[in-house]
Amino acid sequence: MKRVVIIKYGELSTKSDNINFFLKTLKNNVDKKLEGFNYEIKYDHGRMLIFTEDVLQVKNKLQEVFGIHEICDGYLYEERSLESIKTNVLNIIKDLEFNTFKITVKRSDKNYMGTSITIATDIGAYVLKNIPNIKVDVTSPDINVIVEIRLNEVLIYAKGIPGLGGYPVSTLGKGLLMLSGGIDSPVAGYLAIKRGVKIEAVYFDSPPHTSPMALKKVEDLARVLAKYNGGEVKIHVVCFTKIQEEIIKNIPKNYLITMMRRMMYRISALICGSINAHAIINGESIGQVASQTLKSMQVINEAVKMPVLRPLCTYDKLEIIELSKKIGTYDISIRPYEDCCTIFVPEHPVINPDVNLAHEYETLVDFDSLVYEAIKGRTILHIKDHKENNFSDLL
Amino acid sequence: MIYLDYSATTPISLEVLDTMNRTYKEYIGNPNSINALGIKSNELLHSAIKQIADLFNILENEITFTSSSTESNNLAIIGTALKYYKKGKHIIVSRLEHPSIYSICDYLKTIGFEIDYVNNDKEGLIDFEHLRTLIRKDTILVSICAVNSETGVRQPLKMIRQIIKKVNAFTIFHSDMTQAIGKTTISLHDVDLASISSHKIYGPKGIAMLYKASDIKLTPLIYGSGSSNELKPGTPALPLIVGFSKALRLANEDLEKKEKYISLLNDRICTRLKKYYNIKINKTRYSIPHILNISVMDVMPETLMHALDKEGVYVSTNTACSSGEISKAILAIYGDQKRAKHTIRISLSSMTTTGEVTQFLEIFDKCYASLKVLVK
Repeated sequence: MKRVVIIKYGELSTKSDNINFFLKTLKNNVDKKLEGFNYEIKYDHGRMLIFTEDVLQVKNKLQEVFGIHEICDGYLYEERSLESIKTNVLNIIKDLEFNTFKITVKRSDKNYMGTSITIATDIGAYVLKNIPNIKVDVTSPDINVIVEIRLNEVLIYAKGIPGLGGYPVSTLGKGLLMLSGGIDSPVAGYLAIKRGVKIEAVYFDSPPHTSPMALKKVEDLARVLAKYNGGEVKIHVVCFTKIQEEIIKNIPKNYLITMMRRMMYRISALICGSINAHAIINGESIGQVASQTLKSMQVINEAVKMPVLRPLCTYDKLEIIELSKKIGTYDISIRPYEDCCTIFVPEHPVINPDVNLAHEYETLVDFDSLVYEAIKGRTILHIKDHKENNFSDLL
Repeated sequence: MIYLDYSATTPISLEVLDTMNRTYKEYIGNPNSINALGIKSNELLHSAIKQIADLFNILENEITFTSSSTESNNLAIIGTALKYYKKGKHIIVSRLEHPSIYSICDYLKTIGFEIDYVNNDKEGLIDFEHLRTLIRKDTILVSICAVNSETGVRQPLKMIRQIIKKVNAFTIFHSDMTQAIGKTTISLHDVDLASISSHKIYGPKGIAMLYKASDIKLTPLIYGSGSSNELKPGTPALPLIVGFSKALRLANEDLEKKEKYISLLNDRICTRLKKYYNIKINKTRYSIPHILNISVMDVMPETLMHALDKEGVYVSTNTACSSGEISKAILAIYGDQKRAKHTIRISLSSMTTTGEVTQFLEIFDKCYASLKVLVK
């Protein structure tokens, strides 16, 4: 008997022309995730089989991979007689908790005696005889035991755990996430990754107004996202101090945030160009703050000519918090270090900014060269999903 | 010098000492400070914690540092008692615990808790049936050590956990693992709370930890600020923690190989001592080889210990923490007062050489012979 982990695909099974590309990418992502384990992968258009002895750990790891609908615990037997199938099915399910069950038989070996239905009935009767107080339910059973009779072997699996769903990361292009250190942006990044978008991140650093701990916090957030993003997130750290100070010195206070955000968008769009990303992603949610009214979004968005994805735009704050707890970014996000958006917040920022006024203010400072300078001086951090131990000589 | 008291405390590993020296000199910032030096110290702190978490396959926030296993035991038991007293005031411990556990229980009795002591069989193993009958609806905690400090008897924690949780899923299971860690393979997932000490594994003295599974809540015993762990406020003892982390890593390397080697040493001593009619070897099939307990029936153990001391051989009577008292563990296993009064503990390490064992046996023979004469 061999242990197998079975991956059932999510939405990608609907892709017909490029399904091979999706599956190959999924396999690559799974390979990356299972680095260090002993395993072997076989896959077809129906599902992926991972042969391994480390079933529990492999299943845990697979729960961090997008493009997987369900992860099942399977057993592969060489013995194909009906008697052995019956005892094996019983052995597998006797310790599971359930009241109702169903047996589904699939025969890729059509020469195997009987029909799939008669075999299923046979196995079902045997199970009923040997486990007290259970019933058959073919419409919505607690567990559905699947018995696949193949040419040289029989694969049996029952209960699965849900996968993350979505598309395999990297199947749908690249996006640049504006990562601030707050609660929202990492969640927005997560949702973009979920739809197969590989992300890089941009962080606007504003020393000495922001603390190095704020950058560290962003690194830790990126590390969580890296788990889902194929093992790494690149952060483009842009020094925003000069732009911010010029805005504060030269532009009316109520337009401070509007102008800052416009500059951030401009910088992000230029970075997108240099890394071949097709969209900016951020954590804006309609109405959450002054810069996130629809009017504000329109005026700020006008600074760039590329799609800005706002996966959270219709989410309530509580929904965002719930999701951030689930993915493990919440505890990092609430560390008390301010980012450049939360310092220098004017008391009454404009909620209905005027785009013409914004254009006019932009002539007050030589933003073009400041933006150019900021992009040129950016540093790129490669954040891996596991922290590299910088203290190996000590520890 | 022949040191055979490794279960009382171990000499610090020079590698660990070097690490601590460097940490003291190079990482001067307070890990709670947010200046650059503080951040540097904080990163080291988290790497050290992460290394421990990875070793035991637990989460970083499941680790609380304390000053000693005694403090860990206090936090585990009193912390549970204060948190869950509304659910029940019944606690069960074994008869093979470290004395600190009994002191804590004695205190809890004075504030209205009820303590039951679970029996063990002749091999030192917990009496499962008795345990099952003792667990009640209001039992909030069971504390059973992983390895008894006097006899080395190792308990099957996984099985004990299954028994406890089957009778009462809400009963918390604590284990003092001080004598088990670094000697034999242990899974922290078998328990909810575990006490682990550094100075028994060639680490610095003055640091220990409590493992607390994240679904368990404890009431803090100390209040303060400045730490992300509410159970241990205050400035983290960075050099001690880093030293502890390294010591744990080193102790867990080649664990089985070391255990096998020590087994050979243990067998050699046993074979030799068995020839004495009046020496009883307090070893059951569940004893780990690192701890070898004997009862020298015809000589007072303190006298023999002092005689060995003079010759540069260091062993202990009972455990270091309860010298002079009758051995509770030996009494619990053998039910023999005299045997329990006459115990000597020889504890071995992978650093013990075969030459040392030979020399020890010679010196032992000499000392024992000279004292025996006086008794007769």
